[in-house]
Amino acid sequence: STAVILYVYGYNYLRSQCAYDVAPGGLLASVYHLTRIEYGIDQPEEVCIKVFAPRKKPRIPSVFWVWKSADFQERESYDMLGISYDKHPRLKRILMPESWIGWPLRKDYIAPNFYEIQDAH
Amino acid sequence: MNVPSPKKDLMIVNMGPQHPSMHGVLRLIVTLDGEDVIDCEPILGYLHRGMEKIGENRTIIQYLPYVTRWDYLATMFTEAITVNGPEQLGNIQVPKRASYIRVILLELSRIASHLLWLGPFMADIGAQTPFFYIFRERELVYDLFEAATGMRMMHNFFRIGGVAADLPHGWIDKCLDFCDYFLTRVTEYQKLITRNPIFLERVEGVGIVGAEEAINWGLSGPMLRASGVQWDLRKVDHYESYDEFDWEVPWQKEGDSLARYLVRIGEMTESIKIIQQALERIPGGPYENLETRHFDRERDPEWDDFEYRFISKKTSPTFELPKQELYVRVEAPKGELGIFLIGDQSSFPWRWKIRPPGFINLQILPQLIKRMKLADIMTILGSIDIIMGEVDR
Repeated sequence: STAVILYVYGYNYLRSQCAYDVAPGGLLASVYHLTRIEYGIDQPEEVCIKVFAPRKKPRIPSVFWVWKSADFQERESYDMLGISYDKHPRLKRILMPESWIGWPLRKDYIAPNFYEIQDAH
Repeated sequence: MNVPSPKKDLMIVNMGPQHPSMHGVLRLIVTLDGEDVIDCEPILGYLHRGMEKIGENRTIIQYLPYVTRWDYLATMFTEAITVNGPEQLGNIQVPKRASYIRVILLELSRIASHLLWLGPFMADIGAQTPFFYIFRERELVYDLFEAATGMRMMHNFFRIGGVAADLPHGWIDKCLDFCDYFLTRVTEYQKLITRNPIFLERVEGVGIVGAEEAINWGLSGPMLRASGVQWDLRKVDHYESYDEFDWEVPWQKEGDSLARYLVRIGEMTESIKIIQQALERIPGGPYENLETRHFDRERDPEWDDFEYRFISKKTSPTFELPKQELYVRVEAPKGELGIFLIGDQSSFPWRWKIRPPGFINLQILPQLIKRMKLADIMTILGSIDIIMGEVDR
């Protein structure tokens, strides 16, 4: 709904949609950068919107139907951080293999079978 | 029971991750009906290296060798944006000479990237000859890069506050010679390709994107400019002293693959113009803002104690990212390359999100391919100009 209002205001270009987690154990945030593309613009205005979601069951409505450029980007946010977007047409894992368990970009993610060589005592 | 229902059998073909052309590892699952394409589903992720997660554990200087591996054909842009982010966060001024050197190298990199786009594009259509011609020019660009930065492709050249070293003696003359030579080559390509009727048949009217659609799908770069939207970040954002040169933004109105080809050829000529103007007007002066190497914060003396010798490596004093977030962007030859950088008050960023132009331009592929023939898939995919290193990161 907020997205539709902004679209009506003329922000017709979703530049980038990313997601990050705010603090380990805290909320997850999904960030949208919007600009207005028009002819002959100098220094366009931009808007950055953050939507916060709880860590246990993060669900955010998808903006795919407003700006189609959110297609792969929301899939990537789902893949990397686990935020599931409602009403996205194909919400599957895009960068990791389909059978991967875990959300790689969260700060509390432990990469499986990854043993670093540490300085011996 | 025995009435045959006219049901079409759709054939599902897998254009697997390995291609004969140089697009990279992209898997397309194409649903065909005879030779018309009904649907296609791209599957990415074969080259995913976790660059964003790695970035959260490296300082900027340590991360610079990684960034050239995103878009390995136009490497200066990835470095430029990695360095621009902390510069804008920390309000660091870049000296004039460094800015001019950066612009020259960026435009050379843009020419190199468009050349290597042209080769596989023509090879996909069937013309093998331009593939060799572009490598002849690209070798000259590699020689210039090697003389200036030390590496042919994966230069680790940009630093926060300027460039790592000054241009060697005589580089400017060599570069001017290259510009003159290259202009003759571009006219040769125009003669060979642009009015070739076979090429025009293959490419005209294929993969049309309207202007509104292009903006909605979030395209950027030559794809957007070929659809009639005159949006070039170099003109809009006024970054890196592009304002001091006199150049135009090439754009077309149709939005098909031919328009994209013409936009890219136009961009190459404009880049040569920019390089020539920059080379003639390059100022003297320092090439790096050495203030960035001056750190006056005290190191925590507790960690220098005898007991803590073997805990881990202590980082040497490096540039600390302030606790702010910023979205920097650059007009890469593939589109708008962006970094969303959330800094912690430490030398590692908290979140380093890469907005790759190839990833976002690839989203429109299933829609463009519907109702096209099978042979047009490679034309459209070629004209979108993706490179899997940055699509997957």
